Amino acid sequence: MGLIDIIKKATFFEILQGMSVTGKYAASKKFTIEYPKEKSIPYPRFRGSQALLADPVTGELNCDACHLCETICPSQCITIESSETPDGKKSLDEFTIDLSRCVFCGFCEEVCPRAAIVMTANYELASYDKRDFILTKEWLIANAVHAHKELKGR
Amino acid sequence: MSAPLEEKVEQRTRPTLEELKERKARNRQRVSDNAEVMTISMGPHHPSTHGVFRMDLDLDGEVIVDVRPEVGNLHRGMEKLAESKTYHQIIPLTDRLHYVVSFSQNEGYCEAVEKLMGIEVPERAKYIRSMCHEMCRIANHIIWLGFLVMDLGAITFQQITFREREYIMDLWEMLTGARLTHSFARIGGVAKDIPDGFREKMAAALEVIPKRMAEYDRLIRNNRIFLARGKDVGIFTSEDCAAWRVTGPTLRAAGCPRDLRKDEPFAAYDQLDFNVCVEYEADVIARYVLRMNEIYESIKIIKQCLDEMPDGPVIAEDAFHVIPPKKDVLRSSAAMIQDFVQVFRGPQVPKGEVYKAVETSQGELAFYIVSDGSPKPQRLRITTPCFYHCQAMQPLLQGEMLADIVGIFCGVDVCLGSCDR
Ligand code: SF4
Ligand code: SF4
Repeated sequence: MGLIDIIKKATFFEILQGMSVTGKYAASKKFTIEYPKEKSIPYPRFRGSQALLADPVTGELNCDACHLCETICPSQCITIESSETPDGKKSLDEFTIDLSRCVFCGFCEEVCPRAAIVMTANYELASYDKRDFILTKEWLIANAVHAHKELKGR
Repeated sequence: MSAPLEEKVEQRTRPTLEELKERKARNRQRVSDNAEVMTISMGPHHPSTHGVFRMDLDLDGEVIVDVRPEVGNLHRGMEKLAESKTYHQIIPLTDRLHYVVSFSQNEGYCEAVEKLMGIEVPERAKYIRSMCHEMCRIANHIIWLGFLVMDLGAITFQQITFREREYIMDLWEMLTGARLTHSFARIGGVAKDIPDGFREKMAAALEVIPKRMAEYDRLIRNNRIFLARGKDVGIFTSEDCAAWRVTGPTLRAAGCPRDLRKDEPFAAYDQLDFNVCVEYEADVIARYVLRMNEIYESIKIIKQCLDEMPDGPVIAEDAFHVIPPKKDVLRSSAAMIQDFVQVFRGPQVPKGEVYKAVETSQGELAFYIVSDGSPKPQRLRITTPCFYHCQAMQPLLQGEMLADIVGIFCGVDVCLGSCDR
């Protein structure tokens, strides 16, 4: 063991070295954010809970009940009930997403041919009640306020 | 090409295979013939097992005589589940193998499916894939370091390495929309092109990460505790690796330059210029040095990918196998029909079998698909590196001390989600 090693051991050099880093970071800016007070803003591609979009002019839902999203969904959490109106168009009666099964893969948004279902920036989805995870059509329409500004093509 | 990074951790000594065997034998000598064996169970929810993993340890005092690893506590039946999904729907499943390197799993699966269906992936998509692989590698190695040092006794270290990983996580969110389960690779390419502002953010992150890594290296490399707990601990020679099918950094830290990125290039690795890092001491510290050097190498690769990325589509134009991009679906009726066919019917798959392996940050991840011509796989077999790392616990731990288990276990980098599937 050389003299330097002895001095290092006697002065607890490693501990001092470690503490100097601690001191440096204690004085520097915080990296984290205080969550409930401050909120992180997701990027435009963020995949939060789903929303059903309506036509801004007529107020009608974009969805024409084609069942594509229901079919592609890997966890089979979308349930759609549709009926035919007298004039031969399909109308959407029921649109339910079971959020407790959803894996947030975004496939429903990706395959939708009408840009009717989108993933939003809404990530605050925790709840004490399991029933809250069944998203109804009304909830999904109301959730459109969280939709990302630009429509995401890929 | 970027200049070589000065921070690169210098190589250690270069012992021969015989010397390594001798060192290992010296550790093994701690086990005496007339040992009084006591069997204890470690896990399944021991904090250092990174998931749920149980080992039955036969101990003689503090020396480990024998180990029986028990896996399967996290079994989710993924391979069986995959048989009931179309090839497109399996992609989110593969995310859940290993939640830190989701993209590598997505990509490995897609490579296998593309090989089966004979799809040509566009060049740009290949470069994006390579870049994402390296982002996975950086994120994984960074938190691996945090966990290693935490397991060796310094708990705050794990928290500060999460800060560096956060840069990569932000980039993931920007690129794919999710922080952990990306589901980003698609059959025939990737889901989306890189967004505006991504390059600048990436450049900033790649600026910070090497500086911080150098800082960590200064902190722990000459630390007495770290050296005492890592040097000549958990020696696993290249011969052992070959015998137990241990791949990835553990193999490269034993002096064998085996890397699928070079040996069987996938994505755009055949067009990229990079070195395979090798270390020779085959112990915990060699694995640490190797991973740090791999981070620097990954940074080099990402820079190259971003610089050399050609323009063009990010997903193949293939009406029979690929879900078309959303912007086409909204505009052209042909794409819409393709969309409907792909979703309701699934891709058209030839009969046959295919095996494809990719290099993830843990080792070789392979997918073996048997197709009977239907849009769902008849059998999907996933071969993950972590499973073999778990089984290698027995030869790795024999003759080591009880306190070194956590360091060795973390040193080979095991993820139980990926091991049990
Ligand atoms: S995000 Fe994925 S899992 Fe969730 S509803 Fe859409 S397709 Fe289904
Ligand atoms: S894919 Fe779009 S249009 Fe079709 S049912 Fe789903 S939300 Fe409606």
